[in-house]
Amino acid sequence: MSAVLSVVLRLMRFDLRRYLIGAFLWLPVGVLPLAGGLLLQRLFNQLTGDRAVEPQAALWLCAAFIGVEVVRGLIMVLAWSYGVYWWDAAATVLRANILRSLLTARGPAATRLPHSSTESLARLRDDVADLVSLTDESVPLMGSAFFSGAALTIMAAIDPVITLVLVLPMLAIGVLTPLMSRTIQRLRRRARTLGAAVTSFIGEMFSGVLALKTAGADTAALARLRILNLRRRDAAVADRLATDLVDTATNATVDISVGLVLLLAASAMRRGDFTVGDFALFTSYLSWLTQLPRTVGGILYRLPQGAVALERLTRLLAAHQDARDLTRDTRVWFTEQSPPATPAAPQRDDPLQVLEARGLTVRFDDTGRGVYGIDLRIPRGSFTVITGAVGAGKTTLVRALLGLLPTGAGTITWNGRVVADPGTFLVPDRVAYAGQVPRLFSASLRENLLLGWSDARLPHAMELAVFDVDVAALPDGLDTLIGPRGVRLSGGQAQRATAVRALVRNPDLLVLDDLSSALDVETERLLWDRIADAARAGHGPSTLLVVSHRRAALRRADQILVLDRGHLVGVGTLDEVLHTCPEMRRLWGADLVEEAEQQEWSRR
Amino acid sequence: MATHLRRPILHALWPDRRQAIALIVAISAATALPLAAPQLTRRFIDDAIAGAGTGHLTLLAVGYLGLALAGQAARMITTWLASRLAWDGTNRLREKLAAHALGLDMAYHRAHTPGELIDRVDGDVVAVADFAVAFLLDVVASLLLLAGVLVIVFTVDPRIGAALLVYCLLVGVGMTRAQRLAVPSAARSRQANATLLSTLEERLAAAEELRANGAGEHTVSSFHRVAGAWYRAEFRASLIGSGLLAATDVVFAAGTGLVLGLAAWAYWSGALTAGTAVLLFQYTLLIRTPFERVIEQLRQYQEALAGVARVADLLNERRSLPQPTVPRPLPPTGPLGVRLERVGFAYPDDGEPVLSDITLELAPGETLGIVGRTGSGKTTISRLLLRLYDPTEGSVQVGGVDLREVDPDSLRRRVCVVTQNVHLFTASVRDNLTLFRPLANDDRLRAVLAEVGLGDWLAALPDGLDTPLPAMSAGEAQLLTFARALLTDPGLVVLDEPTSRLDPATERHLERCLRRLLTGRTGVLIAHRLSSLSTVDKIAVVADGALVEYGRRDQLAADPDSRFARLLRMAEVRG
Repeated sequence: MSAVLSVVLRLMRFDLRRYLIGAFLWLPVGVLPLAGGLLLQRLFNQLTGDRAVEPQAALWLCAAFIGVEVVRGLIMVLAWSYGVYWWDAAATVLRANILRSLLTARGPAATRLPHSSTESLARLRDDVADLVSLTDESVPLMGSAFFSGAALTIMAAIDPVITLVLVLPMLAIGVLTPLMSRTIQRLRRRARTLGAAVTSFIGEMFSGVLALKTAGADTAALARLRILNLRRRDAAVADRLATDLVDTATNATVDISVGLVLLLAASAMRRGDFTVGDFALFTSYLSWLTQLPRTVGGILYRLPQGAVALERLTRLLAAHQDARDLTRDTRVWFTEQSPPATPAAPQRDDPLQVLEARGLTVRFDDTGRGVYGIDLRIPRGSFTVITGAVGAGKTTLVRALLGLLPTGAGTITWNGRVVADPGTFLVPDRVAYAGQVPRLFSASLRENLLLGWSDARLPHAMELAVFDVDVAALPDGLDTLIGPRGVRLSGGQAQRATAVRALVRNPDLLVLDDLSSALDVETERLLWDRIADAARAGHGPSTLLVVSHRRAALRRADQILVLDRGHLVGVGTLDEVLHTCPEMRRLWGADLVEEAEQQEWSRR
Repeated sequence: MATHLRRPILHALWPDRRQAIALIVAISAATALPLAAPQLTRRFIDDAIAGAGTGHLTLLAVGYLGLALAGQAARMITTWLASRLAWDGTNRLREKLAAHALGLDMAYHRAHTPGELIDRVDGDVVAVADFAVAFLLDVVASLLLLAGVLVIVFTVDPRIGAALLVYCLLVGVGMTRAQRLAVPSAARSRQANATLLSTLEERLAAAEELRANGAGEHTVSSFHRVAGAWYRAEFRASLIGSGLLAATDVVFAAGTGLVLGLAAWAYWSGALTAGTAVLLFQYTLLIRTPFERVIEQLRQYQEALAGVARVADLLNERRSLPQPTVPRPLPPTGPLGVRLERVGFAYPDDGEPVLSDITLELAPGETLGIVGRTGSGKTTISRLLLRLYDPTEGSVQVGGVDLREVDPDSLRRRVCVVTQNVHLFTASVRDNLTLFRPLANDDRLRAVLAEVGLGDWLAALPDGLDTPLPAMSAGEAQLLTFARALLTDPGLVVLDEPTSRLDPATERHLERCLRRLLTGRTGVLIAHRLSSLSTVDKIAVVADGALVEYGRRDQLAADPDSRFARLLRMAEVRG
């Protein structure tokens, strides 16, 4: 809990000036209703008093009542708009710090990130909002505390006994709010889960429409949908009721309080000690008074939630970082001016001679898969192909080598020197990488290819990756917006785009994970030809590490590493491994039908 | 949009009579009770000033408490009834839509992604439902409450009532206009937030590529740019949003001020008592919430209307495969013969011919291997055999009956497909096996799983058949589809063989299961592996939608000039 509080304090301090000004601006918004109540008191007292009093006085009071609200409204607009900056800046700093840690800090990010990017996003969205909102709650807290203190003083001066009795229902709200919030959150989560279950079942019904239709199982699937629908209804209704219950409870508290005032004031009113004006003041303060217990209850409820959020966010940071790195003031760029360009990559003086790994081991606990004790040697100028069956560990090996996965054992050396943190060492312009699944962003093609790198080598890189023709055919060329995750590109184009991205970085070692799965045989041949020619001519990556099962790649390889269920079962040239490795012979034969068909086709 | 399209939607949403009556009662109570409570405060104040007895006053106070609390309870009950009712209606509509969409042909599903259909069947329906529940709860109840306040104020003092009516009309018009003002900036702010989140999501999904390509700092910079745009959009939206909120506060304070001023004036002219002034004050406080609720719903009305239109469009889609007028069942047991006669086909969306002049024949129990490059049309042949499409030329016969005349239920029972893209549902093992059908008892399910070699796999699951389907390897998933096929005892199996390079043990096991599945059945095998071609009776080589080679496997293998023989030779030379 103290960890959360210190994060809250640091969030207040990171832009203290704005926080304080914002809090100061909000204060009148919470406090001005005091004036409204006092005006009502005066007004109603006049209405029960002497009819000889000037009626204009009452009209002035009405005008003042409206005037107070006008002032309060203006201040509210000011305070609110001013406060947006602080809120957004706090959230942005937290998010940027996490993003930077995930993308640049030492140690692999794979173990820190949850399994799905949706889950990671939920943390950056909701957990960050939880922490910032918790800090932000301190602002209305000040206002409502001030109001409550003053209001209770005024009320106690009128009738101390009634005031004391009215504190009880308020305390009840303070106790109930965190309890009810917990219930509401549980019900909401349940409603969301069951709602998502319906949505995803509908999605599955339609993505599996072929399976359902061909099995004649559509009626059965609809019956299942009906059951899920019913469950969702019950959960959604419970959620809605619980949410309404909070408002109802507050309103009921006000109603009960008004009733209590009536009950307790009956005799005093008859005596004339408790005036109609006092009654109006009490009723107008009552609903404002519920603010304080609601805010306090809200904070009590948010604190444990904030602790969970903080814990989850800290888990996204690297092992050597802590909550301080989370709230570090790394400033924001909210005006039109853009953040500074990223510095160019430093000049290196140790070009690749040989990259080696000894006893590289990765163990995935949940599946028992992984790679075990892999030795490999990649000399400058070589073409290495990693091959193997589905699930043999090809991608795992590449990711482990690049420091993207935590290794259980093994060392990696660059020109004979041990690499302490491959994740931050084996980066451009030493190594560049195109993964198995093309990762593209909703931006221009140029931005996707460069990602901050200089465009000096872009035309050359596009030619090497056989991407130049595709770009020429796009309506806006490199400025084409390629849509969310690059959906506007075909599968093959997306893969070659990620190859361009790696090639632009002019690395010593180019690592391509199964680039060919979305390329036709002809394009793939062209791609290897161009890269090989460029390497010979000295203006392309000299060394290649490629995951592939395609013959075009295997035939070119200087060495092939054959993996079988996580173990290296063959190393050598194609002829050597075909000779010595039964698994290689099996894999080589399996491709035959497909490739023979393709050759038949291209011959015609 | 024509009215006849809206009718089925309204029909689905319409509640049954009992629920409707309960809701009407609840809404009436929720309106009447809050309206009655201030009457007691008035009596209390006037009687207190007149010097009534404490017992009488206490009774009034207790009465007030009772009415107020009963009003809150009535409101809760209304919420409960209205949201249940609306959810029932939406669920009916959703089920109707889902059934309709599932009934549409594959041609429709080829042209519409599951995401699109989720939007129609879930997203749009929820928009319609949200509006329906809000309409019942907020619009109807709020307008009733508002009308009640006005009527009572009229009876108290017609002049104040008239002033309040004019005020309400002005506020209604003003708030509607103002709301429209806020919509675009609020939408832009939401959009900016969505952009921020999707930017983050895309980058998080690509964390490894970004790290390995040294693009981390650049990504943080672009995040700052997007965050800046987000702040600016939020700032503009907050100016307008808080402005509106403040204006609303001022407008309702003005309303209260107005009524109080009038009440004061009436008091001095002797027309009303202090208690009545308090009564008027309490009633003016009542009108704010209904106003806000109605205005909010006006905004959702637009969205709901668009949703209704899209839902109606979907309901208007018709299936293109005609149902047989006199459906003929397939033979209920035993293998089924297959005959394709001069079949030609083009997909309806592009009209490009995919198959032309295909003639094939399989006796019951025979197996056929179809070989051809991706896109050559072999998958289309399998779709025609399942009658996911009708051929544009020629005819497809199974079990001696033209598929256009076959009873669809019997077709689904007797013809079975095993695809390489196995669709696994996020559901229990049992559901994945039976596809939600009440097919067989658990012993049979276990036996089938054991038959395909998933017995040990099942035994290791914590809740057996009820376990949510765990992550499966490609080979295991394929075995599951074999088990699905074995459950229904089909007479014709259409099989798209997995191309993925599985590990050797799995591959051998799959082949054994495949042979068992095809024993005593007619089989059409889209083959990717030489070893599977060695077990079939006939071979068809397809290229560009035409049959370039067709015959018995042993004859083709013996003919040195055949493509099939060439394929076999290549395997020997290089293997």
